[in-house]
Amino acid sequence: MVLKTITILSQLALIHVFYFAGVGLAHILSLPVPGSIVGLVLLLLSLFAGIVKLEWIEKAGGWLLAELLLFFVPSAVGILNYKEILNWQGLETVLLILISTFIVMAATGFTAEKLYRRKRKGGHTS
Amino acid sequence: MTTALIILIGTIVTYVIYRASKIVYKKWPLPFFHPLLLCPLILIAIIQLSHLDPGEYALSSSLWTHMLGPATVAFAIPIYKHAHLLRKNIMIILTSIAAGTLVAIGSSLLLSLVMQFNGDLLISILPRSITTPIAIEVSKTIGGLPTLTTVFVIVTGVTGGIIGPYVIRLMALKSPVARGLALGMGAHGVGTNKAMEYGEQEGTFSTIGMIMAAGMTLIWAGLLIPSLLQITIL
Repeated sequence: MVLKTITILSQLALIHVFYFAGVGLAHILSLPVPGSIVGLVLLLLSLFAGIVKLEWIEKAGGWLLAELLLFFVPSAVGILNYKEILNWQGLETVLLILISTFIVMAATGFTAEKLYRRKRKGGHTS
Repeated sequence: MTTALIILIGTIVTYVIYRASKIVYKKWPLPFFHPLLLCPLILIAIIQLSHLDPGEYALSSSLWTHMLGPATVAFAIPIYKHAHLLRKNIMIILTSIAAGTLVAIGSSLLLSLVMQFNGDLLISILPRSITTPIAIEVSKTIGGLPTLTTVFVIVTGVTGGIIGPYVIRLMALKSPVARGLALGMGAHGVGTNKAMEYGEQEGTFSTIGMIMAAGMTLIWAGLLIPSLLQITIL
């Protein structure tokens, strides 16, 4: 139990190194991309280059991805600061987002599914 | 109370209620019990009933918000593990996400016009389909209000996490690439979280969809959105 906690914490620290490196790099080069995305790219390159082994980060990484919703919770509670949208227009906004998100998912999924099937069929005949 | 104590309490309370919400959702998987709906609602109720300052809650739970950064970095893991899948499907990914981002911006704009939303609200809602940090950048670029955009991103995530499985069933999406891209494009990190429940491949495609969607929306924000806004508003 203690050993597992230490493993996860040290892995978490290593992921933080990439996170802060990404934030720093984005800041220094004033990139139009958030530091976390730069960190992702840095970690990905390091994995491919063999500088970082998957086992060094896999446990903490798995935890971060599994508990992702938790990290959105404070922002969701932050809606409290926008009492002015908790009215009729707010309801309309939610409806807009619901309809639009539905269309976006359907369009994206439809396109991908069609292309995937065509590619598979093409692969069989050629 | 010292800041350290406030953070300790906020971190623990948020975690416990989040865990409880997840257990409830696992037992009764109703849309209304989605953890990103149930948990914030309980916390909002607690804050309102005990007359706490929402700003103080934000500070007390900032450790969890911070973790979004390292979590984004950790998305490198599924991408690395499934790099061959991405290389094999790169054309499908690029085409689908190009379609998805254009539909996201276009449908938000059209629906806003139909519902007669004005200036700030209309502009701030356009980048809502992408992950928060980049949505904020896009919002700034096109002249929206970043804080308002953040709210819309969250609402999009909650909504998408709930309706995603219905869309997948309704559109009969069978391939991991279609399922993953639909979830990642439509509901950023929250959709990707859902995609990982379907499987590792779905999760990977969703991750890459989320990142590509953010990248492409950044491009549209520079090239397309300004002229779109000029045509429709002025």
